[in-house]
Amino acid sequence: MTIRARIRSWLFAVLQRSRAERDMDAELKFHIEAYAEDLERSGVKQEEALRHAHIEFGSVERMKEECREARGVSLLQSLLQDLRLAVRVLRKSAGFTVVAVITLALGIGANAAIFSVVDAILLRPLPYPQPAQLVRLWEDAPSLGYFRNVVNPYNFMDWRDNAKSFQSMAAITGQMTNLSAQGQPIALPGMQVSPEFFSVLEVPPFLGSTFTSDEGVAGHDQVVILSYGLWQSQFGGNAAIVGQKVDVDGVPHTVIGVMPRGFSFPKMKAEVWTPLPLARTDDWKDGRYLTVVARLKPGVTLEQARQDMLRVGNLTAEARPENNKGWGGEVLPMLEDATLDVRRPLWVLLACVGFLLLIACSNVANLLLMRGAGRLREMAVRSALGAGRVRLIQQLLVESLLLALAGMAAGLIVAQFGLHSLLALIPQNAPLPRSEPITINGSVLMFSFFAALLTAILFGLVPALRLSRFDLQDALKQGSSRGGVGGHQALRRCFVVVEVALALLLSVGAGLMLRSFSRLVAVDPGFRTDHLLTMHIWTSPSHYSDDHKRSAYFERMLTEIRNSPGVRAAGSTHFLPLTDSISGSCFAPGDGPPPTPSESPSSQYLVTSPGYFSAMGIPLLKGRDFEARDNFDAPPVAIVNHAFVERYFPGQNVVGKQLWVCWSFKKTVEIVGVAAEARQAGLQDAPEPTIFLSNSQAPMYFATIVVRAEGDPREIIRSAEEAIHRVDPDQAVSDVRSMEDVVSDSVSSQRFEAVLLGVFAAMAIALAIIGIYGVVSYSVSQRTNEIGIRMAMGARSPDIARMVVRETLTLAGIALLVGFGSSVALSRVLESLLFEIRPTDAVTLVSAGCVIVAVSVMASVLPARRAAKVDPMMALRYE
Amino acid sequence: MDKQLELLQGTLDMLILKAVSLGPLHGYGILLRIQQVSKDRLEIQQGSLYPALYRLEHQGWITSEWGESENNRKAKYYRLTATGRRRLQTETEQWNRMAEVIAGILKTTPGEL
Repeated sequence: MTIRARIRSWLFAVLQRSRAERDMDAELKFHIEAYAEDLERSGVKQEEALRHAHIEFGSVERMKEECREARGVSLLQSLLQDLRLAVRVLRKSAGFTVVAVITLALGIGANAAIFSVVDAILLRPLPYPQPAQLVRLWEDAPSLGYFRNVVNPYNFMDWRDNAKSFQSMAAITGQMTNLSAQGQPIALPGMQVSPEFFSVLEVPPFLGSTFTSDEGVAGHDQVVILSYGLWQSQFGGNAAIVGQKVDVDGVPHTVIGVMPRGFSFPKMKAEVWTPLPLARTDDWKDGRYLTVVARLKPGVTLEQARQDMLRVGNLTAEARPENNKGWGGEVLPMLEDATLDVRRPLWVLLACVGFLLLIACSNVANLLLMRGAGRLREMAVRSALGAGRVRLIQQLLVESLLLALAGMAAGLIVAQFGLHSLLALIPQNAPLPRSEPITINGSVLMFSFFAALLTAILFGLVPALRLSRFDLQDALKQGSSRGGVGGHQALRRCFVVVEVALALLLSVGAGLMLRSFSRLVAVDPGFRTDHLLTMHIWTSPSHYSDDHKRSAYFERMLTEIRNSPGVRAAGSTHFLPLTDSISGSCFAPGDGPPPTPSESPSSQYLVTSPGYFSAMGIPLLKGRDFEARDNFDAPPVAIVNHAFVERYFPGQNVVGKQLWVCWSFKKTVEIVGVAAEARQAGLQDAPEPTIFLSNSQAPMYFATIVVRAEGDPREIIRSAEEAIHRVDPDQAVSDVRSMEDVVSDSVSSQRFEAVLLGVFAAMAIALAIIGIYGVVSYSVSQRTNEIGIRMAMGARSPDIARMVVRETLTLAGIALLVGFGSSVALSRVLESLLFEIRPTDAVTLVSAGCVIVAVSVMASVLPARRAAKVDPMMALRYE
Repeated sequence: MDKQLELLQGTLDMLILKAVSLGPLHGYGILLRIQQVSKDRLEIQQGSLYPALYRLEHQGWITSEWGESENNRKAKYYRLTATGRRRLQTETEQWNRMAEVIAGILKTTPGEL
């Protein structure tokens, strides 16, 4: 068997290396001596015969090397040999090694840090069994412009009962929950879920049990499941908690279970779970507000599920056309759904660090080429001693690999710090798509290792191919450091052009993001963000289910706050601006028939208290604010914003007009005022037509209270909370933030992207400077002789300096062309991330170009001055 | 003596197999055997023999063991294996066919076309 023979001979050679070597020596020695003896016998003198035999035989070392190769051992052994040599070489040129390793560490480190985010958020499967089966279901109405809309309860029940593609389906509403365990009220994020929720996710409880279907029926729903964290912090991790009673929103609930540590649902925070008692009653007929998650049956594809939902969507549309005409069901894989908004920015960031790594690679390749010029003799000697070209390339690549691995090791330290500061850019309470920790884990290590491997090939291969190709005779004849490498100068320039072009590309990207960000934060939100405190209130339905009682409660609370020291004004709104929250309602002019959700136009609406506009600093353009007299006994009133008038009643005086509003009333409301426009969902979203209803006439269960302070808003936090507790000591307050923090948090993802791109661009420019400087100064040192001749012929120092700078500018010019070309092609992917800035924004392109030119000149100034100071006499003698 | 011919690319392996097929030989012996049989008309670079021997052994066509040489010195002897014998047979057949075809082509005169 030939395979066996091969393995045997290979094993023999590898395991018994010294014996194999001895055998080989003995065999060749025998040959030469036997031949010499034959020569002697034919009459040649003894010493002459041995010499002659050696010459006839050829290079013994070379033959031995070829024999080793023939046996297939040489790869492993020569790699070890090369590794030892590489360590020695790299240690000897410490300066070069340090610069190269730092450069690579920055490149690989940035990649590892960003990859760990990409991995944790986009790549890692969701932390549930068979995560690929999990999908999110939405309603959509493409013709009306609604996509990924939350779901109407009746429609959810129809889906659950009629769809055939899913094992199970659950509905969720997220809300704040007031929990009082030891007397102290705390407001916690909670989820009300239909009983199937935990079985859809297939996560068993840590303690106790999850909901049974009975517990999803009204009247049997006073049970609660706690998060691990809450159980630890509030109940001391006592296992006896299961079965005990805890007050949830003022009603005693039995604790039936504790979920395991780390259990979470994407984008929704929750510390407590209570059942959602869905039923086909009028309570659940209107509105779309349920989040729906489902698990596909095994073997059912996404496409089949979509077809199924199309069919079920038609059923719901036929059953309740007034609500559902034009609406259908949408299916999205859960992971894709959770990461929809962050997918593009994260891939952009990963691409940017990829470019950064390329820049680092070309820098190191340049360093290798320059150093290689000084190693020509070493190469020549090794070649003369029998090393083939492949062997030389192998050794140079082993050196590169060693550099790359050292770069990786240092890079992981960089990544650790980088990741830390990167995560610090994300606000504490941001709703992350994933709650799993972002760390440098196994897959990040694997990624870094492959990145290092790839970089080693990228920066090592071209120099290795170049350096291993030389004319042996020339190389041996020549001095130790110069000559024979003229061609490399062109290659080095190529690398510089590439890295400067990439640096330009990153600068353009960063410039676009920074300009977009500065535009975004300069947007006038339509209200005054200074001296404003915001706090979230959730009223327990058990205490305040009565509308009159609830509206009176809010009024008393606001009055108490207004009377506290340091408070100028106070009001409330159900959704705070710039928190990505909007609500919509259909409406119709009051002189026509009542509106239906499928036929009538839709507007945003907000439920606000009297005094909200003045507390926010939103001017009233016409009419009046809500007042105390607009109570339940008085006719319902509304305020609309300027955009609403412009869109639906252009040029008309709307004050005094009647409106039907689907959300709240069985009768029409009278428009009593027109407010100026203010941004609602976020700074980037232009104000939409909005109807304001009074919290005294259509009270919500929750509100964000806004308090205008005389001084620092943080100083009145205590007095405002005390005022609230004077009205109801059990009322919990949450999300206490100054409006300035709210604004800052609302642009955190844009800030994250802009800052990171800015940092990467700065790193790219720094590396490009090093690259330009290296190449230009090397070129100057190579041309000392030429410069000397020019000076001897009458060129003056400024001429020489200009020549060097001009040469650099030529390189920069080519790089600008390449860079602009590619940035025009690539920056389109940034389009959806930009606010009011086109990807071809001239200001950005021009300033990035100027930066690159300025930086190039800067990098060439030192070498130019050195060139200008060349002494012609010295230079000519230099050769 | 005729002028020496340079070895055709790839034929050394075949000659080595043939040489050891006649009986175990050490490296130098193989060289002598080939020169003797070819009546010194082939030029073989002495050193190039060994990489070829190692390669053939690695492929399992020949095997080696240490033994005594004619002048009582330790020498490494190569022997043909069973697979080596089959290999030699196919190589010989191929070579003969090739030589026949080439010779046929070269012998062609204008009249035969």
